[in-house]
Amino acid sequence: MTWSPSQWPTPLRLDVKAARKDFPILKREMSGGRPLVYLDNSATTQKPQQVIDAMSTYYRTSNSNVHRSAHTLAEEATLGFEESREKIRNWFGATESRVVFTSGTTEAINLAAHSWAKVNLSEGDVVVLTEMEHHADIVPWQMLASEKGVELRWVPFDLETFELDMGAYEVAVQGASLVGAVHTSNVLGVRNPVELMVELAHQAGAKILIDAAQAAPHDRIGFDSLGADFLALSAHKMGGPTGIGILLIQEDAFQQMQPFMGGGDMIREVHFDYSTYQENEHRFEAGTPRIAEAIGWGAAIDWLAKWDMESVHEHGLELARFTADSLRSIPGMRVFGRQAERDGAVVSFLHDTMHANDLAAMLDAQGFAVRTGHHCAQPLLRRFDIAATNRASFWLYNTREEASAFVEATRDICQRFS
Amino acid sequence: MSIGVGSGPGDWPEALSTIIEDFSEAFDANERYEMLFELAEQVDELPLDEWTEASKVHGCQSEAHIMVGLNENGGFHLRGAADSKIVQGLIAITTVALEGLSIAQVVAFSPLFVEEMGIASALSPSRANGFLNMFKKVQVEAASLEGPDG
Repeated sequence: MTWSPSQWPTPLRLDVKAARKDFPILKREMSGGRPLVYLDNSATTQKPQQVIDAMSTYYRTSNSNVHRSAHTLAEEATLGFEESREKIRNWFGATESRVVFTSGTTEAINLAAHSWAKVNLSEGDVVVLTEMEHHADIVPWQMLASEKGVELRWVPFDLETFELDMGAYEVAVQGASLVGAVHTSNVLGVRNPVELMVELAHQAGAKILIDAAQAAPHDRIGFDSLGADFLALSAHKMGGPTGIGILLIQEDAFQQMQPFMGGGDMIREVHFDYSTYQENEHRFEAGTPRIAEAIGWGAAIDWLAKWDMESVHEHGLELARFTADSLRSIPGMRVFGRQAERDGAVVSFLHDTMHANDLAAMLDAQGFAVRTGHHCAQPLLRRFDIAATNRASFWLYNTREEASAFVEATRDICQRFS
Repeated sequence: MSIGVGSGPGDWPEALSTIIEDFSEAFDANERYEMLFELAEQVDELPLDEWTEASKVHGCQSEAHIMVGLNENGGFHLRGAADSKIVQGLIAITTVALEGLSIAQVVAFSPLFVEEMGIASALSPSRANGFLNMFKKVQVEAASLEGPDG
């Protein structure tokens, strides 16, 4: 039986207690028998048992290579792999578009840079980026700029409202060929006006790539209705395994792309003097793909499909708002970013005398896992004249009690040590 | 209490043995951090204007700097500083461990003392590596104090 989205149940309002039960790692005790409080979800989320089981079952019962042999295992592996592609296509509203598997968001953006931009852009062409971009949406374009003489234009954001300067954006896209923009910032939590950005880019004749790595765990993104030309994201930030992601591509952009990696699976025919390539997504998936990972990601989406994503979004945002407001009441604490209506579940903060690494190490000793550092967004942090922050980021299994305990532990450490 | 030269566990100089004992008696990780912060205040601090590329410890998540030298008795003396108090505390312990030793003793000193203090487990691998990078830099620079002929 082929898979269809009708197999997804009617989603229920998020039940945090019930959701938590599916994550075995959340039962882990940390040093001194303290419970794990995992607040590093923007870096990667934990995995539900269903994902672990799907990958384990695949390896125990169906492991084989895909698209090749005509035996039972190969057919099961191929079916599972391609079924996951269909789940992903449906989940992200990309039924009229192309779904190319990559190793993650970074490789997805690099694929767009190599297979579309390098082929279609030349010296003097313009790529527009925002100052909120993750390094994954900066460095590939810098490489392109130095190789092809492409010009990079930067759209600033306001240091107090954390909003992109849309006036500057509208000017920057004039004459541009491509825009690279982050949907939701991994540092500031700000959700950018991507619908308007797509509209303005297209009005100016530019294509637009959206980095949706941070949006995917909290939002049902409708790729076809959004109308962006490319969209990149990773499985591991939404309950799926590491090592796999996608680049969603609109048909006309897909037809303008040339493969940059050659090898098995992507070819139609190979001769001594030339080769022809597949015409579907496999064209950009040279070599044995990430089969178990794709199957695990499909299981993660099946699991997420149980929950109404609007309630997932509200829950994360509510925890982030509570945390940001509470942290602001700690003397010497500075909070960076915003928790407005559609923003992400992220709170970046920095104490004026307590080193970010010291605070994180002391929180860790009490069982709290938070991120510390530049969050792969050094240019953004330089705008604030800082090198690092601490960051707490939430997902659907985090509770209000965890957020409260985290704030109190942070308050206590700052009082004691600063 | 042992009075050694730091060849490994059980052979630590007296001042270091005292610190290790204090740490092992600490109630919890927070208390160990408090002790580290206190030690950080006691280090012979390398002032900011002496932080150079040459004094910088690479491979450490925080900005850490060290400078090796000799004290008035001709024994080894270390100065250092870091923007992270935990790292500066680790530098402070290292200064206590190596104070007054001969260059040969410094070069042969085992970094395992940090594990005996119950700190390493509370440090991220990158920071633990940062400690080892710092310790290695101290030893390499100590060796250069002796000159090419030893």
